[in-house]
Amino acid sequence: MIEIPKRSEVIKKQKDEGKLIAAVFPIHYPKELLRAFNIHPVEVWGPPLVDTKTGNAHLQPYICSIVKCGLSFLLDEAIGTVDMVLVPHGCDSLQGLGSLLLDFIKPEKPVMVFYPPREKRSCDVGFLEKEIKRLYHQLCQLTGYSPDEERLLKEIEKEEALEESLLKLYENRKEVTLSSLEFYRLIRAREYLDADTLMNLLKSVPQKKQTPLTNSKPVILSGIVPEPMDILEKIDEMGAYVAADDFASCRRRVYGKGESRNPFTRMAERILNGPPDSTKGSSFDERIAFIESLIRRCSAKAVIFHNIKFCETEEFYHPILKRALKEMGVKTVEVEVDLNERMPQQALTRINALIESIE
Amino acid sequence: MDTLKRIKYEVITKAAKLALKGNRILSERKFKTPKRWRTDILAPPLKIGLRTKELVTRHYLEGRYAEGAKPVAWVTSGAPVEILKALGFYVLYPENHAALCGARRTALELCLEAEKSGYSMDICSYARCDFGALISGKTPVGKLPKPDLLLCCTNICQTVLYWYRVLEKHFNVPLVVIDTPFLYREAEEHHIEYVKNQLDKLVEVAERVSGKKLKFERLKETLRLSKMAAELWHEVIQTGKNVPSPISVFDQFIHMAPIVEMRGDAETVDFYAEMLKELQERIEKGVSAVVKERRRLLWDNLPIWYKLKFLSEFLAERGIAIVTSTYTNAWGELAPMMDPQRPIESMAKTYLYPILNRGVGHKLKTMKEMIKDYSLNGAILHSDRSCKPYSVGQIDERNRLISELGVPALLLEADHNDPRAYAEEQVRTRLSAFAEMLES
Ligand code: SF4
Ligand code: SF4
Repeated sequence: MIEIPKRSEVIKKQKDEGKLIAAVFPIHYPKELLRAFNIHPVEVWGPPLVDTKTGNAHLQPYICSIVKCGLSFLLDEAIGTVDMVLVPHGCDSLQGLGSLLLDFIKPEKPVMVFYPPREKRSCDVGFLEKEIKRLYHQLCQLTGYSPDEERLLKEIEKEEALEESLLKLYENRKEVTLSSLEFYRLIRAREYLDADTLMNLLKSVPQKKQTPLTNSKPVILSGIVPEPMDILEKIDEMGAYVAADDFASCRRRVYGKGESRNPFTRMAERILNGPPDSTKGSSFDERIAFIESLIRRCSAKAVIFHNIKFCETEEFYHPILKRALKEMGVKTVEVEVDLNERMPQQALTRINALIESIE
Repeated sequence: MDTLKRIKYEVITKAAKLALKGNRILSERKFKTPKRWRTDILAPPLKIGLRTKELVTRHYLEGRYAEGAKPVAWVTSGAPVEILKALGFYVLYPENHAALCGARRTALELCLEAEKSGYSMDICSYARCDFGALISGKTPVGKLPKPDLLLCCTNICQTVLYWYRVLEKHFNVPLVVIDTPFLYREAEEHHIEYVKNQLDKLVEVAERVSGKKLKFERLKETLRLSKMAAELWHEVIQTGKNVPSPISVFDQFIHMAPIVEMRGDAETVDFYAEMLKELQERIEKGVSAVVKERRRLLWDNLPIWYKLKFLSEFLAERGIAIVTSTYTNAWGELAPMMDPQRPIESMAKTYLYPILNRGVGHKLKTMKEMIKDYSLNGAILHSDRSCKPYSVGQIDERNRLISELGVPALLLEADHNDPRAYAEEQVRTRLSAFAEMLES
């Protein structure tokens, strides 16, 4: 069992160290930029099972629970603690959320927005670089501080090193003696831990040749975020384990190294050249190739599409991805979840049936 | 392109053009109000409707023969189509096709086809409708030509990006994405430059696909025609400022097809000039779209295509005229930004600025201005389950219209193309109560 610091403890510690806290909504943003300003990003992916009365007062019933829970949580609980809010543009609903916060809700803390492009041509890299610079200037104004290139590069390299370790951990998943739930608690700690702390935690992960996973069936999960997290526990109980993931919150944000020595270009390269992702508008071929590479690495025979209700962003991809996987002989199932509800029994039954059907 | 197909295309479309025109002229001569038309509550239908029908029929008819005869592009409704027009593309708008399916009440059948193939009921019903047509080959217009190029501009939503990714996979043809960063505030230099770079890229790909070189003079002329049509369309909408209004929003919904799918054509300019003339005549004669106009409203969001007749009559019976909408206005309000002398630069900016690519605060401001300029008594905000970019923000918008302007505003839950998200009894009850409130 690895001791992962609690979110509230981390926030308190960072504050005590004089850092500013940013509440950051999903999905893609240059974390290293915030860190270079001594701002500690804490991501808001829901959280699940919150009272959404506040969200319901602004959002229609057909808006996903990530946005609805996130807005409720921000306004009801987090806004007093954080120093600023960042809403990256990831989909039509997150766009609406950013716009609502800026124009109507106007919380007492500054709200910033950020637009990552949906292609990765050279003009997209150029645009993203400028968009990051825009955010840089906004942060300079907000903090009265302007980190130099060296500082920016240092933070970038830290994130890159962390990602390298995360990638190794993913690759050695079978040797890692953690249950699926423990493994993803660790991966998801990145949502609120700084690179150094998480890196140290990764070093302490026990690995051995023979683990309880040796006899379990490897499956892949694909979606936005593994919530509610008890799905992971249930999968293990069904005789399988999550051998790899294609989650926007997890594997799709292990961007990899950029090349440029210009920190702004490098941050842009990292986001754009990272794994394909629905919120970045990636093509079907890229997404199929990526999932196929995960399958090859972990020999999974099944992919579970874990969809947040009303997440059109992911839903558009499913029929074609499922067809492509079927052609590869990989079984699939799609389950729909709402962050504000427990994992539906019917969804678990379907996952169970899928797991039973694979060797 | 195939020469024989081209000849066939030219011969058939020219003949069809003449036949449709002749037919329309004959119909105009013996123009009569249809028997079932509720003349007790509504003005007779606009004569221009015959031309709308002619143009739309011809557009889809051309499409049937375009494949192989000329380059074909499928584009989103907010795409910078002038470049493709100037290169001689036949341009199809899947959204318009889906709207037509909605109005002809075939959308549900097509949505079901898409759902059978695994598409979720939660994705935009326009997209589902289009996928249903692709999968089943069914369409009320006979046949849709296969595209040689796909052009997706994200200035209306991100949904279209996924939709066009599906099309890209399905047709295996080049997809050009014009990514228009959402404007939470005004556009900055890097936004405009980014779109401009992408337009340059579009020119490159479209030239390659069409095998032609873009003539700049031609592009300027196409943009000039687009601008003129948009200006005239805006004037058409603005006749609604007259009390009583000669035009209702339902008329606008029906007659907006050319401004969406025939921008850049000389005939679209003529069409709206003619429509404007007819409306001005109505104003001179005191003809009111809703016979006993007592209350005037704003409509926000897409139409409920399969319920236009019901809604128009239900409201007219109660003396309510919906005279304008943020939706129809969107196709006219950007005309001043288009500069035919600087086509690419001005298009880069214009295509960043549609209302759907701007913040909710801007939409509220537009609504408030419309309420003032059109002397409106209230607003109906269609909360469209399918269209998140248009709908998020409406709860606050409604509340602010009520609290800041003191006008009644109603949030009406439905879906623009999927009748399963529409509950007639509930709509009746809510609209009746709203009508009563407007009277009090
Ligand atoms: S779950 Fe889907 S719809 Fe919701 S915020 Fe994430 S990407 Fe957007
Ligand atoms: S209806 Fe809305 S979501 Fe659908 S294509 Fe149009 S703008 Fe996009």
